[in-house]
Amino acid sequence: MAQVQDKAVEGVKQPKPFDAEMEIAKLWAKCQAAQDEIRRAFYCSREAGIQRAGDDADPTAIALKAWEVRGKDAAKTFFPRINLAKGNLVEEIGKLYVNAWRNQGAVVKLKKSENPDEVFIVWERCPWPTAAKNYGAPMAEDVAGCDLMLQTTIADVALFINRRLKIETLKAIPRGEGTCVRRLWLEH
Amino acid sequence: MARQIFEWDYSQYPGATTYPHVFSPIQIGDLVIPNRIKYAATEDNLNTHDGYVTDEDVAYITSRAKGVAGGICTMQGVYMDERRYGQGYVGQAAAWDDKFIPGLKRLADAIHGERAVANYQLMHCGRVGGVETPVCEGPSYLPQRLRLFKPVHEMSHEEVELSIQQHIDAARRGIEAGFDMMEISGIVGYLISNFLSSYTNRRSDEYGGDIHARCKFMTDIIKGVRKEIGPDIPLIIRICAWEQLDDVGGNTQEESMIVYQEAEKAGVDSISVTVGWQESIVPVISRDIDFGSWLYQAERAKQHITIPVSMAYRLFHADMADQAIADGKIDYWENCRPQIADPLMPLKHLEGREEDIRWCVACNVCLARLFRDAPMTCYINPLCAHEHDPEYYPQPAKTKKTVFVAGGGPAGLECAWVAADRGHEVHVYERRDKLGGTIIDAGKAPYNDDELYHIIEFHKAQCDKRGVEFHLGEEVTAELLEEELPDTLVVAAGSTVRTPTFFGGDRDNVITLHDALYETKPVGDHVVVWGNRKPAIGTALALAKRGKKVTLVGKDRTVGKDINPSFRWRYNIFLRQNGVVSYNDCDIEQVLDGQAILVTYDGHRVPVKCDTVVLGERDPNPTLKAAAQDNSIELYVIGDAVVPRGLSGAVHDGYKTGLRI
Repeated sequence: MAQVQDKAVEGVKQPKPFDAEMEIAKLWAKCQAAQDEIRRAFYCSREAGIQRAGDDADPTAIALKAWEVRGKDAAKTFFPRINLAKGNLVEEIGKLYVNAWRNQGAVVKLKKSENPDEVFIVWERCPWPTAAKNYGAPMAEDVAGCDLMLQTTIADVALFINRRLKIETLKAIPRGEGTCVRRLWLEH
Repeated sequence: MARQIFEWDYSQYPGATTYPHVFSPIQIGDLVIPNRIKYAATEDNLNTHDGYVTDEDVAYITSRAKGVAGGICTMQGVYMDERRYGQGYVGQAAAWDDKFIPGLKRLADAIHGERAVANYQLMHCGRVGGVETPVCEGPSYLPQRLRLFKPVHEMSHEEVELSIQQHIDAARRGIEAGFDMMEISGIVGYLISNFLSSYTNRRSDEYGGDIHARCKFMTDIIKGVRKEIGPDIPLIIRICAWEQLDDVGGNTQEESMIVYQEAEKAGVDSISVTVGWQESIVPVISRDIDFGSWLYQAERAKQHITIPVSMAYRLFHADMADQAIADGKIDYWENCRPQIADPLMPLKHLEGREEDIRWCVACNVCLARLFRDAPMTCYINPLCAHEHDPEYYPQPAKTKKTVFVAGGGPAGLECAWVAADRGHEVHVYERRDKLGGTIIDAGKAPYNDDELYHIIEFHKAQCDKRGVEFHLGEEVTAELLEEELPDTLVVAAGSTVRTPTFFGGDRDNVITLHDALYETKPVGDHVVVWGNRKPAIGTALALAKRGKKVTLVGKDRTVGKDINPSFRWRYNIFLRQNGVVSYNDCDIEQVLDGQAILVTYDGHRVPVKCDTVVLGERDPNPTLKAAAQDNSIELYVIGDAVVPRGLSGAVHDGYKTGLRI
């Protein structure tokens, strides 16, 4: 590590020696805290919606509506990144999903298929079922919510670019299947 | 039988010889226009929110009409639906009822008052409309790519037919208001372009389908308007030759030419060739696009149609237009932003006064303002949108004063010529041996930033004509003030490079942006530029072009906060393309051997490779204030000497101060 040798500008304290490991550890902790905050905010808003709707309302219906709204907004973040003139469309859309979930703390990968119009998105780890458990939401809601979000996003993306894109859930962690696997494909 | 509305004889003017093609007549439909100049329709947001024409708009258009020297002057496009879905700008003029005719007539009369040809434009903004309604309307529902725009209401068959009739009715109102020509706007994402494009038109009725079917909305409007206005009124349409929407499945360039042919068949007399949509991810008109870049599209259009063709985009100078006409690429010259910057630009060409032209710098601040519901303004023309206000024009000074201007940059020079115009005796002191100040440095940045220097050439010519005395290589000092005792001192000394506040800021490898730009000190391979506003960005790009690996570090939360949003996105792309990494909301903490430690706003520290630190932050230059006050000299501080800003702040400060002295 380089040594501090310079004199300070007047009024500026000499900084502590730089410790890369400590800085990375602090940043990583903050990143994870920010990811947790996404889920905390979602489930608090879900709870607010359920309480506001009253006893007669169906909590799952409210939660699913929230997932649908998230799906629509996710589509809006996809639009500026879509380029039909570049690359394989299905792969490019698949990468957008992958990046969106990685930002939330999931371990997720894109798996190519022999069919160029088909890819598989594999979640090896996802923090959302844990959050659902922590906030008392049923696992069935988590699967349905996530699925609805993906479906809503792909519907808007398909509408935007006028292509018949589809997504389906093949496996889901909250169902005890170990990984989440989604098939994304282009229909002709 | 061809007819001409106003007779113009250009033979006595030098421009007729210099630009013989521009100042030769052209026939559009049955109308002979004395020259080949057209002021293109420009929204100005100067009208009332419900679409009535104001004094401000009349004054704005009058000055542009004077500038075309007998050519075509187009008013801003009108929307024609009472629901206001077609309104794309808060100050857009309306024509959905006869009650708007008197206001429209004021515009036609104003244009005629300058002996120019009055062109009326129909403009339903379609997908980018509905500026004050919850939704806009279009041929098909599809989500908006840009969050700025409203959700699209898909028009029913009845609504499509109603819209066609509304175009026709609005056309009639234009003719009743006294306009000589009619223009239909089908560009950049407006309603007609929405119907034409495979990106936005997925209808299954007669208005959707292949390119010929998608043309039906346009051709129905053309035929209906033609029938309404009769054969004698020339009819123009503006359409994209290339939508630049290949990334989302827009029309091919071949399809665009079919549109041109359909428009001609339907009865238009001329086509204005445009390129790109507001949703395009490719730049079309910003300064980084070279002059004349799009002429090949006009040339292509001429190969497909037989009627006259015009074009505006990045065709600022009459010599370019003249050559393009001579080469058969266009038939007449349109301009828009150049006449926002200088309403009399074409007239000055005619009169051989090119040195008096305030050249547009293609910064797009005019567009940025319109998209944010603000009245039009111009970066380098302080009078723009204030043409109606007598206080914005130089008036003879009541008391003639001796004025010293400290600084020969854009603020000082603008102030100098305006003050001299009002009768003051003005001396400009500039410590360098060349006028221009910060603009000289700014011109070192890539992507055509050298165009910025045109404003200095304009200033110098204006100062020379008004007897301003330049003292190059001389500074105003306290001693000079005490000795000469001028009545007024204008401090336009610009900014100074901020002294580094970080540890290691006294190292030899910490240099100023001037040292870096002029290569007066060595610059290593890994460079950290301190600052994330325009001067730092320009320097970073210049260094990146020299092959340096550059990191920008600035306290603003976004890079280029001082650049208007309609141009900032270009800089973001330039930085990315040149591999410049930006750390925003950050500062330099310390400079060490071979690296700098950056610190985020919340205290996290990041090491980056660094051989050289370039200081790009600025502070106002506080010079001379005390000396002026000690000698009871009237004092003004302007431009970067107040707060470091861009060229616009300098020019506007200078102009307004020149009016006040």
